[in-house]
Amino acid sequence: MVEALEAKKLKEHAKLKEYLALTDEVIVKKNGRDWSRDAFDLTTRVLHVNPEFYTVWNYRRHILVHGIFPTRSVLCTPPEINEILTTDLSLTTAHLKQHPKVYWIWNHRRWCLENVPVGPTEDDPDGWRRANWNKELFVVERMLDADARNFHAWNYRRYVLASTPVQRAEQAELTYTTRKIEANFSNFSAWHQRSKVLTSLWDSGKLDIKKSKEDEYELVKNAMYTDPGDQSVWIYHRWLVEPGNDYEILRREITSIQELLDEQPDSKWCMESLVFYHRLQLRNHSSRLTDTDKQGIVQRCLQLLNDLQAVDSPRRQRYIDLSTEVQKLA
Amino acid sequence: MNHKEALDREEVIDFVMSCWDEDAGAFGAHPDHDAHIHSTLSAIQILIMQDALDRLDVPRVVDFILSLQQESGVFSGDSFGEIDTRFLYCAVNALSLLGQLDKLDVEKTVGYIRKCRNFDGGFGACIGAESHAAMVWVCTAALAILDRLDEIDHETLGWWLAERQLPSGGLNGRPEKLEDVCYSHWVLSSLSILNKLTWIDAEKVTAFILSAQDLEHGGIADRPGDQPDVFHTQFGVAGLSLLGYPGLNDLDPVYCMPASLIERMGLKKGWQALPRRTN
Ligand SMILES: [Zn+2]
Repeated sequence: MVEALEAKKLKEHAKLKEYLALTDEVIVKKNGRDWSRDAFDLTTRVLHVNPEFYTVWNYRRHILVHGIFPTRSVLCTPPEINEILTTDLSLTTAHLKQHPKVYWIWNHRRWCLENVPVGPTEDDPDGWRRANWNKELFVVERMLDADARNFHAWNYRRYVLASTPVQRAEQAELTYTTRKIEANFSNFSAWHQRSKVLTSLWDSGKLDIKKSKEDEYELVKNAMYTDPGDQSVWIYHRWLVEPGNDYEILRREITSIQELLDEQPDSKWCMESLVFYHRLQLRNHSSRLTDTDKQGIVQRCLQLLNDLQAVDSPRRQRYIDLSTEVQKLA
Repeated sequence: MNHKEALDREEVIDFVMSCWDEDAGAFGAHPDHDAHIHSTLSAIQILIMQDALDRLDVPRVVDFILSLQQESGVFSGDSFGEIDTRFLYCAVNALSLLGQLDKLDVEKTVGYIRKCRNFDGGFGACIGAESHAAMVWVCTAALAILDRLDEIDHETLGWWLAERQLPSGGLNGRPEKLEDVCYSHWVLSSLSILNKLTWIDAEKVTAFILSAQDLEHGGIADRPGDQPDVFHTQFGVAGLSLLGYPGLNDLDPVYCMPASLIERMGLKKGWQALPRRTN
């Protein structure tokens, strides 16, 4: 036991020593502006051990830009540049599998993609770019399969969708978020993405806003009934209702949440949302309400806020502050 | 924690200065590393805390920072151009500490933050990104420094931040995620800037942070039972300070530096922490 531990320690010590020697070597080369192929290979080895070493990623790109790419010999023609960058993309794919949250790796990927040369031929100047970019959505989907909330991957996904040479129909992204949400209603990253995609589809007129919103209400209702405690769903519902200008929809949603609350009398999110939508009612539609209506709604809100203080005591002070706000609407 | 003397002043200053990148005119994370806006802010903060700002080549550092602002208003971290609201905050904070905010295009900078605002009241790392407690803090603090908190929907963001508290008392960084001590700093600092620290249960967060302490070796981990590190220790202590934990110095949640120092520099904003308890 003791011997095994001792051996492990020695091995770790040797590994650390080896890494420090590598680090020294790469820094000496960098300071000497060594832009050779040897230096490039050395950065590969260092980054393999420590992909967080941002200076070495920078150095690697300097070697490519100043040392390797400008050599317009047989060795570094555009096909060769394309090949080097394609290899670097595969290298970072391997890194990402082990370190899915290291900013520098995601960055290096972007840089590679943005530097793919024009070609292979004059007739097909986008061929290489297309080939490299087309793999990206596949890579990022594998990353999101492994961790559906990885915000690096989601940000990268939006970047790829916006920058890829062959634009994909936005509807495909809507379908993707449906798939992610149906796999797990709690995935707020997917709900968030959905809100962005829908806004764009509605603004461009590619989707009929009225009909599409109804589909969304249906989807959310389903999710609410599945787990009324899941805040992702309620936050998204709020986005759907806001700014609350459609009085009939506002009333319908209030009724439907009230029904759910009747079934689940302790549901904090039902109460919280009811207060919010009632306040929208008072703020945006006061001309439709009689004084008695308004008094009734205010009393109802105060009652709900009072109940919330009990069922959700950590946020008690917030409900007290909101009660003061609600009274101003009377 | 009132133990500044635990680190040797000269050694600290020498180390910071050894991280200077002469080519770029700014600081790297370590000697011989490339300049980056993040390590440059850290260097400035440390030099100020050691009262050694006279060692700094202010014009060069300001040039470096301003050179990183993009057309959109956001800042990149270095010459390779990774952009992020975190770097925007680093730039605003550093320029403010150096008394050079007049050189910043404020409208352009605020314009970018505005485009990062989501319907839940929060902010993400770039336009289109999901709200995240760390980016909420950098955007809120940057707006506080620029006296532009009117860009924030206080009630909605306060709600989103209050909902970061989980039944364990700990705070998470996004809806339906796990709690972690580092979010104490990001969430509590943001709430403090919005004057809404009372919207969470302070006693429960305090207990959560303390439960992540390593009672044998010192330090705070991301959550109970894990290995402590400097990063989570700093953020845990920062959170405890804002919650009024006894015996700690006041922390300025906008600059993440000692409050007395920021006040002396005339940079204090209208944030509020919970009153310091005596036991
Ligand atoms: Zn953490």
